[in-house]
Amino acid sequence: MALLGKDVAKQVKEILSEMEDEVKILFFSSDDESVCEYCSTIDQLLSELTELSDKLHVEKINVDEDPDAMERYDVEMVPALVLIPKDGKDRGVRFYGVPAGHEFSTFLQDILIFSKQAKPQLSEESVEKLSKIDKPVDIKVFVTTTCPYCPRAVLTAHQIALVNDNIKASMVEANEFMDLSARFGVSSVPHTVINEKHMFVGAYPEKEFVNEVLKALEV
Amino acid sequence: MVFFDVGSAKSELEDYYDVVIIGGGPAGLTAAIYAKQSGLSALVLEKDLEGGYMNLTELVENYPGFTSIRGEELGAKMAEHATHFGANLYTDSAEKIELSDGEKIVHLESGKKVRTKVVIVATGSKPRQLGVPGEEEFRARGVSYCATCDGHFFKDGHVVVVGGGNSAFDESLFLAKIVKKVTIVHILEKPTADARLREKVKANDKIEYKPLTELVRIEGDEKVRRVILKDLKTNEEYSMDVDGVFIFVGMVPNSQILEGLADFDQWGYVITDENMETRTPGIFAVGDVRSKNLRQIITAASDGAIAAYTAAHKYFE
Repeated sequence: MALLGKDVAKQVKEILSEMEDEVKILFFSSDDESVCEYCSTIDQLLSELTELSDKLHVEKINVDEDPDAMERYDVEMVPALVLIPKDGKDRGVRFYGVPAGHEFSTFLQDILIFSKQAKPQLSEESVEKLSKIDKPVDIKVFVTTTCPYCPRAVLTAHQIALVNDNIKASMVEANEFMDLSARFGVSSVPHTVINEKHMFVGAYPEKEFVNEVLKALEV
Repeated sequence: MVFFDVGSAKSELEDYYDVVIIGGGPAGLTAAIYAKQSGLSALVLEKDLEGGYMNLTELVENYPGFTSIRGEELGAKMAEHATHFGANLYTDSAEKIELSDGEKIVHLESGKKVRTKVVIVATGSKPRQLGVPGEEEFRARGVSYCATCDGHFFKDGHVVVVGGGNSAFDESLFLAKIVKKVTIVHILEKPTADARLREKVKANDKIEYKPLTELVRIEGDEKVRRVILKDLKTNEEYSMDVDGVFIFVGMVPNSQILEGLADFDQWGYVITDENMETRTPGIFAVGDVRSKNLRQIITAASDGAIAAYTAAHKYFE
């Protein structure tokens, strides 16, 4: 049975028709269900998505067969999705877990952004502040797919990553990565962790989010 | 339950719209539908997801035409309805409304600006805090205002729900599907929730209802461990072990953007005339942010329709 219903597929097709350039999705997967319970779900979702646009391509990387791939691509866990724009450069945008529920809208918005030169849609002020960062920044936004405030937090984090190659930003589906969520004490989402030590909870507006990134670098 | 929300993935923004609607809940989306059907161009700004507070409602069972529908599904349907008629949905937050030469300029958080003739404010409301010791300290460590978002972190645990209204009861029913036990505490004897919800809660053996009970303190270590409750009949305080605290004690309006442009009632809700217009011509307020008696999806939709209709006739004919 199809994951996307007929109506949803129709809407997705229309949204994806706005894509300008091609976008590649790297899908890091494992056949071991104890490692990746939802890899088959993502497999199906991606194949349904690529049916809806010729500009969307998927490259599946099986980490069982290619164990070094994760390190090579700087991917921490499976399942992982990495978006790559036309120029082939990794811009630091990651999804860990199934981008279902409300996160599906995040995934679609990201695909559109990546098809339009992956240009961040942030204020000039934010771009200026973020451009100056010369140290590695790792942003993880823990979400649940039923949280309506979470897509905004993930989108903001992803746009921040697009500004500067030193910044990496990931959506982490909290229920799929329970141990990691427990490690950071996630009990209310969106819960954002920067460089594994600086945390805040809630969908912060862009300016405040950027300030939190800068604050994380001071400590 | 797997669902796929397509949201407002389109992202183009024009420089001018006849009507700019701030907020994409039922009031804003209905205003957009009516504005488009009156031949106006309409932009809906939503900072989170279209549907607004409906996204946090487990089941909607009082919207005509739908015996029972999930809140987010109804929200998605309304968003689709608005885009079907050509409304532009855009993800951004409005920060300021500037009056200039008969036009209004809406300043967005991203730094962008849009010009318009009419602004319809449909910004809704947000959960009120309880104001007890421990609430801030344990925020995100067991205290939550969103069962739909955070319920799953308390799987098989015991949670306390504070409040006796429709939200408290609706969210308790949602939580009861995940957790082992839900205790609802309410400072009044009788809940204010609808009879239908009261019956469902009564029939659910995972939910316990404690009337005349006040939550006075939240305690714990790295996370919530217990709450101190007070029996208001005897004034005795006692402790109850819990894993989480969900607070649904009413709402506060998101009306800040209208400061200086509209009048407010004593709780901060926006005062309008019967056509939803504020004291500033061309600026309307609709839905939960407006001062009124009944805040429901249907009354929000009604507000939106009236505002868009009035705007079309008053400013574009």
